[in-house]
Amino acid sequence: MATLKPPSATHRSSSSAPPGPPRAPVKADPSATIADTAVFQGTHPITIGPGTVIHPRARLYSYEGPITIGDGCIISEKAVIGAAPESASKERSASSSRTASPSPSPSTPTDGTTTTTQTIHTPTPEEGLPIRISYFVTIGPLSSILPGSHIHSAAAIDSLATIHRGAEIGSHAKICAGCVVPQNGRVAEWTVVWGSGVGQRRTRGRGARPPGSAVRVAAYVAQVPVPESAPEGKLVEDARLMVLVREREALGRMIAGAKKR
Amino acid sequence: MSRPFPYTYISCPCADTPVPEPGRKRKSTLSPQKPERTSVPAEDSQETQKEKDDDDEQEQEAQGEDEEEQTFDPRSPRSNFSLYPPEQLLYCEDCHQIKCPRCITEEIVSWYCPNCLFETPSSMVKSDGNRCGRNCFNCPACTAPLAVSAIENMAGNATQQGPWVLSCGYCLWTTLDIGIKFDKPTNIRSQLQKMTDSTAPASFDRKPSRTFGDLKSPLATFSSIDEQSNARHEEDPDQSAHKEDSAPPLGAEARFAALKSFYRTQINETSNSPSDPLSSEFGFSSPGALNRLMSLYASSSRLGGLYGSGNKKPKSKPPVMREALTASEGLRIADSLAEVEVIERLASADCGWNGVASADQRTEQSPDVRFVDDLLPLPVLLRTKRAKRCKPCKHILVKPETKPQSTRFRIRLIALSYIPLPTLRPLAFPSSSSVVSPTVPAPDLTALPPLRPIHVLLNLKNHMFDPVRITLATPSVTPGRVSSKVTVLCPQFEIGANSDVWDEALQGAEAPIADSRSATLRGGEKVPEAGKVWDKGRNWTTVVLEVVPGTLPGTDPLSQGGADDGQSPALPDEDVLEIPVFVHMEWEAEVQLEQQNVGKSSKPDDLVTRELAYWMVLGVGRIQAGL
Repeated sequence: MATLKPPSATHRSSSSAPPGPPRAPVKADPSATIADTAVFQGTHPITIGPGTVIHPRARLYSYEGPITIGDGCIISEKAVIGAAPESASKERSASSSRTASPSPSPSTPTDGTTTTTQTIHTPTPEEGLPIRISYFVTIGPLSSILPGSHIHSAAAIDSLATIHRGAEIGSHAKICAGCVVPQNGRVAEWTVVWGSGVGQRRTRGRGARPPGSAVRVAAYVAQVPVPESAPEGKLVEDARLMVLVREREALGRMIAGAKKR
Repeated sequence: MSRPFPYTYISCPCADTPVPEPGRKRKSTLSPQKPERTSVPAEDSQETQKEKDDDDEQEQEAQGEDEEEQTFDPRSPRSNFSLYPPEQLLYCEDCHQIKCPRCITEEIVSWYCPNCLFETPSSMVKSDGNRCGRNCFNCPACTAPLAVSAIENMAGNATQQGPWVLSCGYCLWTTLDIGIKFDKPTNIRSQLQKMTDSTAPASFDRKPSRTFGDLKSPLATFSSIDEQSNARHEEDPDQSAHKEDSAPPLGAEARFAALKSFYRTQINETSNSPSDPLSSEFGFSSPGALNRLMSLYASSSRLGGLYGSGNKKPKSKPPVMREALTASEGLRIADSLAEVEVIERLASADCGWNGVASADQRTEQSPDVRFVDDLLPLPVLLRTKRAKRCKPCKHILVKPETKPQSTRFRIRLIALSYIPLPTLRPLAFPSSSSVVSPTVPAPDLTALPPLRPIHVLLNLKNHMFDPVRITLATPSVTPGRVSSKVTVLCPQFEIGANSDVWDEALQGAEAPIADSRSATLRGGEKVPEAGKVWDKGRNWTTVVLEVVPGTLPGTDPLSQGGADDGQSPALPDEDVLEIPVFVHMEWEAEVQLEQQNVGKSSKPDDLVTRELAYWMVLGVGRIQAGL
């Protein structure tokens, strides 16, 4: 149903001059939908699971470690996963956390050397800083995920959010728009990070909750039985994931239709 | 100030008008030979001539005249309250005066919910509070608007309309987090109210017990606090029994309602003279102590009659008002165990930091709420549309359309359609170097070199349909310690009417257009001349102001080591160069109908000369510290 565009064929970097950025070895499932204008650069392998959608102009940089994207993820427009080479070299020394600049400049000699050394070493995934994105993860537009972070299944990362190096996002967590998860930060599962910057955290209701104290008091006062506890909070999350599945299906149909025409 | 340079402010004249004194008003109206005057300064001068004997009065008049003579000082603390950007001012057509937000009154036209844009009648606002009564709620965790959604539908099996919840799209909060679901998707507020309302009258009906019944009218039996407290001790076992079954304490709303009804009955019982019409008013705040105190003065005061103690012997001791004593009356005694409970819950693993409601969240909720599990969704606060009236003449200045959907105004008398809009910009080159090329950039307004003359262009744009004669006056030296010299090169000029653009074009008034065009063409070589306007257009005129910024205190180059000559260093914002300009405008307007009938001195062509005068402040820039 979904169409795979082998990124090597239509990739801009392939047609560019020989000293252009190295194209990453991409191993994508045939059922993944990958836009033509998505950018894959780096030396480490990038793995994309079945059913995953990568939107136009998303950038995946595997200079510092392999990128693994699981099933059914959505990577939105202009999202940056990994670090671009020049910022990477800068960050390696100063560990300053700035995301990749829009377009990697023509590689400088230093970049060339670093990449060559890396390719010579042929690092194992443990050696580099792998980015692991699990199942059903949504990554919003313009958000950036830096090397070494691990995003568990069904997490949602909103637009313009930043996940710094070594951070771990638990399953069913949500990072709201513009929020920042600091270096080596841990976001527990079923937690919402909201507000601005590092923001505030909120634990989502997962199981069924008994009615709150206000309701209990009111029921007592009115001499009526306390209403039975509401359904589990998981229902809402299931519904959200269902919507995501439908979004992916609709996108697949749309692209298929466009191809036929 | 807060605006970027250059800015212009207009001073509302309400700051100068003296507060009307009732005594003076009476005097002026009583004096027979005085003709009716409306303008305040004229009245003042009349009075100074007349009432020489009244010293106080005279002094005030003298002060008033002083103020009249004084130049407006933009730095004086008082002027802070009268300076407004021109766009914020209104104009009253009856008073013929500028009106600032201080000299208008506001009244609410309609209440509406900003979320659903539904108007709420003010009677409902009074009864239900100023929150949306429909389905609009804000998230208690993050204040984003909540959406009503069906759970079953969301899960995919769209066959059955399931229970509904409120859910936040931002932080994913749902009412399931507090264990609440709704059976209908409409009238969520009343459903929620029903669920959480602990003020139901059932709370009183439920226990028509002896305890409550007795306490409801204790005044029949007790007449002093001591007896009551004794009685309370007797009742204690009963109360403890009562406490046992009321396991969850009353909510804040319920306690408030209980207290309210309790004190209402107390007031009714204690106001002892039901026949007295004023008893409800005065009896309201009359615990027995105050009553007795008042009766001390009763013989001499008018109030004596009110409390029935005017006659020497009060028949009986006035009943004493008591405080709430039981939980059913709304009393809550702080329970030490409850605190422990809260602390334990705080320390427990499943609560933690994230489980505690933040200060922001708690301010919106009932004061008992400590944990995020207790947060309730908040109905959206209503907003208002307001009409504005002139304070003295009650003339409506602004009246918005009642409908919340419409952003239009029925009446809106903004000052800019009556007074010319002043705009300021620096002239591109300083006149001290008159031979420079026209490419010299405009001076940096945030660092004006002192003692170096600059030229600024003051543009006045007329929005009236009548041509206006303008007279500008400015003090030659700005007030304050930093004395900058200011000269208006052309203090008297005329601004054209705001006529139709096409009219002018069709009438072939090429002259002004050509004039302005040529002016822009040779703008580079143009040299400001005294007595000539800089530029002129259809309904605008530009004049040149020559400004020589003064030196800041402590940096006077003439006195070496300026800081030593007793001058304190510059205060914050003292380096801002602000020029007070007095604007006097005069125009001939068509007479309004009522005036036409009354006024005998109206000209035959139905034109009357109007004038308006006000101060404005031009913020030119900041003066550099050194040369």
